[in-house]
Amino acid sequence: MKTTTKRLALGISLFAGALAATQVLASDDKFAAYRDALAGDNPGEFWIDDGKKLFFEKRGPKKASLEQCDFGLGPGVLKGAYAQLPRYFKDTNKVETLEGRILTCMEKLQGIKPEEAVKMTYLNAAEEDSRPDDLTKIATYIAAQSNGMKFDVKPRNAQEQHALELGKKMFWRRQGAMDLACADCHANTQGKQLRGVDLPDMTDIKTAGKVMTAFPAYVLKDSNVRGQWWRNERCVLAMRLPWLKTGSEIDAALTLYMLNFASQSEEKIQVPGIKPRA
Amino acid sequence: MNKKHYLTLALALAMAGTAHADPTPDWGDKISEKEFLEAAKRSFYLNDPKEFDRLRDETLEVCNATKNRPSAEQTKAILEREQKTIVYPKDGKLYGDWKKGKIVVEDAHGGRIGYPGFADADNPKHPNGANCYACHAIDPNFPQAGNMGPPLTNYGKLRPKTDAMVKYTYDKVYNSKATNPCSLMPRYGGPKHLITPEQVADVVAFLLDPDSPVNNPPVTTK
Repeated sequence: MKTTTKRLALGISLFAGALAATQVLASDDKFAAYRDALAGDNPGEFWIDDGKKLFFEKRGPKKASLEQCDFGLGPGVLKGAYAQLPRYFKDTNKVETLEGRILTCMEKLQGIKPEEAVKMTYLNAAEEDSRPDDLTKIATYIAAQSNGMKFDVKPRNAQEQHALELGKKMFWRRQGAMDLACADCHANTQGKQLRGVDLPDMTDIKTAGKVMTAFPAYVLKDSNVRGQWWRNERCVLAMRLPWLKTGSEIDAALTLYMLNFASQSEEKIQVPGIKPRA
Repeated sequence: MNKKHYLTLALALAMAGTAHADPTPDWGDKISEKEFLEAAKRSFYLNDPKEFDRLRDETLEVCNATKNRPSAEQTKAILEREQKTIVYPKDGKLYGDWKKGKIVVEDAHGGRIGYPGFADADNPKHPNGANCYACHAIDPNFPQAGNMGPPLTNYGKLRPKTDAMVKYTYDKVYNSKATNPCSLMPRYGGPKHLITPEQVADVVAFLLDPDSPVNNPPVTTK
């Protein structure tokens, strides 16, 4: 009986593989049904609760909470904050992502050095050894305060315009040991797969909207919630580039470039989303 | 293919033709190379300054500047330069062991760097793989294949196993840019990339050998 079951399972998986190769559009549809079934009990919800606790907790050498952090809509305003990030901040003279802005506030308000704050996030980006980290928890809590809203990210000033152009350059430039650009896999690639996995076309407005509104997302493969930076870094890692710093100029530029497309879609932020692997 | 499949295909073709948000062939042209590299210096964590070299390449610079359409003169210069990078195994055999080649083709290990202590960074002591299934269907028994590159199933069945074909296949895997200046396919051979000359020869055998699963019908499970 056992052998029969095994063989049956093998047969099914081979059949599924063959099916995935021929029906290029179908594989994500199958996952969508699974995603719907899980939607009521998304394990990522715990990250919101943990993030809320961390946000209000007095932490760091300055023993302060993050309540006075200004995410662009005024100190402490979280509703809608994620929907308009990344944006340019005068106080740092930088275009910052949600994660980048949290790091800025942790340093300014709590006295926690960014190098220390990201350490666990970096180490936990691994598939092999993945545990929840504070930065992603806080980011998930803040992002969830924009649930139901559309992204509204477009360049409003010279600095954001520059970031958009830099993001475009990062997206289209072939580089790294694999000779690849982000665009080689994520522009004009509808119906294309990488090792059996659908490639989202991030220059397609609807697809960009669907992908970007799901992050931070609960990633089943890692049993962990992953933010925007992680999404960028996983591709950068596959391109065999050096390590992309969280909230860095290029991280923010690339995120802004893709969110500029996502903002033109009708998709609404619904985090944490659920993703099979990325 | 039944009716439903044809519909799916028609839909895929229709979608492939839809307008994109960014129809202008602009690859971030407003940002100069110098400006980009300066931003990159601030944005990437380097364990070793040598890691930054991965962001610069003479050939890719031309491909990026011309949007993968180099002039005849640039093409000639790229092909000549890339041809010179191809190194052959010390024993002169461009045709290795297909069983070893099977492992190289499947394995995705290699070339990944990262933050100190990052568990997914590659172990330099472990041999690298070429992860060919990311883009190509090859051995029909392998369940997951990409479709970014052409299917290579029956590669050897469809081609003569001549010395010229062995060399062509070797060169293509070692350095695709030696025959196609801005090929989408990564260059695989040599220290700047992933695999050794001996591993390339094993991949050649895996593709061309009559006994390789690539050139045989899939094994059915009963």
